Amino acid sequence: MLGFLTARQAGLDDPLRLRRAESTRRVLNLELNHDRDVDRIHSNGINTIDIEVIEGRYMLSGGADGVVVVYDLENNSRKSQYTCKAVGTVGRSSRYAHRFSVETVQWYPHDTGMFVSSSFDKTMKVWDTETLKPAEVFQFEGNVYCHHMSPIARKHSLIAVGTKDQKVQLCDLKSGSRIQVLQGHRGEVLSVRWSPRYEHILATASTDSRVLVWDVRRASGSLFSLDQHNGDKSKASSEAVNTAHNGRVNGLCFTVDGLYLLTMGTDDRMRLWNSANGKNTLVNYGKVSNESRKGLKITVSRSCSPEFVFVPCGSSVAVYTLHTGELVTMLRGHYNNVDCCQFHPDYQELYSGGKDCNILAWVPAVRPPDVEEEGTAAKGGSQATGNPAFEDAWSSDED
Amino acid sequence: MSVMNRKRALISDTFKVNKRRVGNGKQFGAVNNGEAGPLDVKATLQDLMTLFPRKLFNDALPQIVLKHQLYSVHNDRTQVDRQLSDLREQGELLMFQLGFDAEAFGLVFAADYKTKVLAGEEGRGTRGTVEKFMDKVLPSCNDMSFNKDKMLKEFLFTDSEITQLVKSGVLTVRDAGSWWLSIPNSGRFTKYLIQGRKAVLGMVKKSKYNEVLKAELEERQTNSQVKFQIKYHIHDIIGAELVECIPTTSGTLLRCVDY
Repeated sequence: MLGFLTARQAGLDDPLRLRRAESTRRVLNLELNHDRDVDRIHSNGINTIDIEVIEGRYMLSGGADGVVVVYDLENNSRKSQYTCKAVGTVGRSSRYAHRFSVETVQWYPHDTGMFVSSSFDKTMKVWDTETLKPAEVFQFEGNVYCHHMSPIARKHSLIAVGTKDQKVQLCDLKSGSRIQVLQGHRGEVLSVRWSPRYEHILATASTDSRVLVWDVRRASGSLFSLDQHNGDKSKASSEAVNTAHNGRVNGLCFTVDGLYLLTMGTDDRMRLWNSANGKNTLVNYGKVSNESRKGLKITVSRSCSPEFVFVPCGSSVAVYTLHTGELVTMLRGHYNNVDCCQFHPDYQELYSGGKDCNILAWVPAVRPPDVEEEGTAAKGGSQATGNPAFEDAWSSDED
Repeated sequence: MSVMNRKRALISDTFKVNKRRVGNGKQFGAVNNGEAGPLDVKATLQDLMTLFPRKLFNDALPQIVLKHQLYSVHNDRTQVDRQLSDLREQGELLMFQLGFDAEAFGLVFAADYKTKVLAGEEGRGTRGTVEKFMDKVLPSCNDMSFNKDKMLKEFLFTDSEITQLVKSGVLTVRDAGSWWLSIPNSGRFTKYLIQGRKAVLGMVKKSKYNEVLKAELEERQTNSQVKFQIKYHIHDIIGAELVECIPTTSGTLLRCVDY
């Protein structure tokens, strides 16, 4: 570590190198920290979490009880023991709350004045954060599984919505109407994701085992469908030709640079695709257990080398290296199934929410301070020697 | 006295400056039990092939190893997959869809396959067609399945020749107009494999706490259901992730996974 710092100081190394090395070290050190807590508001499972991209300060969560909560993640108190407080709740008592489970929430990508939530009560609501009242409500014919707004879009403000219907709907925020429909899937659409690189590219995943990539400017169908065998028709049985998975596809995630796309399927496999040509990179992650009947929210790290992907796997979160498929570690701490996770890129923290109604914060473990001699032990060693079970009560002082 | 850090921290390899580790240089976390050197899939394949019971089938079958058995030896699955596809490109290795599981692939050395199949065809009328198939198709085409168009146009086989190939067992029906490449007489192999796999998994399940040390399982006596060597089955269940592999101070522990 000191080597990196000296090289950076002397200008021998690129500044990015030190940043990457430190981010990676922090991600590898993720653990449950008893100092950091998140307010427990939900009374039922938490389905979705989103952290806003502008400041990384506010977090939204949507639960199976129809409640949407806004949390403030910043630690303004001087103490290390901190609970992230809820600054606003759309609770069961609110007139505008969703009637059934909230499946997806997302902040408006350009500021925190607005957020959008969609739910099994067949509506998608656009909320004003100040007043916590919906500014717009979109009605659909089937349960809404997911929605996504493009994080980089300047020329359009479309929200892609995946519902029980086979058609992917595009709703326009500016006009408040549903302006486009993408036809191509033969089953329910479980997950939609805009590319973080090109504002017109959209990927959708469905129960018909296929993932389609669209350019919304084109009037005709999808650009291409992801094929797990890369066109090698001989490998699969004839039904599985041209499918992304051997089961429902319920998780989609682009990497931060938008060059790769990750998909998760109920065949217990996760695949990494080159998003430009749709080729399966054939990285083998092994069996990634997936029992979810609706969408699964996976997330990738940012500015680490190598990149990591965080996957909710049963009651723990599995961390894999993105390009080699190695399982790095399992983060255990939830009491029940984990449904969603979100990575905070500035502090390299992970927030995960699950059926046990908790949102857990995984924080990089602090390097324990070296225990110094008797005189300064009190100042430096308060965290390291705090636990009386580890204190040395029998060896003599002359050692 | 400094407090012992009970948890071994994960360290990325950018921080491991001077230490030279035994075996694989790149790993996160715990040192592996010194099993793998630099990844050599071919050598591992040859090792695993020796576990295959040739006498059981009267030497009629070539030695078959399942693709996921390699995953139980090597940690890096992506590298294993890459080396396997290289070997297939070079024409040294053949991969077959075994049929009982979409992900179960059997691997056979090409030379082995050729000798065994031709030996099995001795004195049969279909021998000529099979030989023609081996010489024409196998060196040029790496696919696991063939459809009618390809057989008729590219390789110029007639319908009756295709029927002969299916009769001899080299091709099995996949659906109307397409066939899988297969190993003749491998039905018994698949039956014994599934039987033995169930029996070995049952042995793990019946143990106290549903877990057993790998070394202990290898020493156990097998009942009549298990026809192969137990090591073959152990590699199979670890690679197919039907059991979880947990490193302990007394060796690897296999724990049943309830799904």
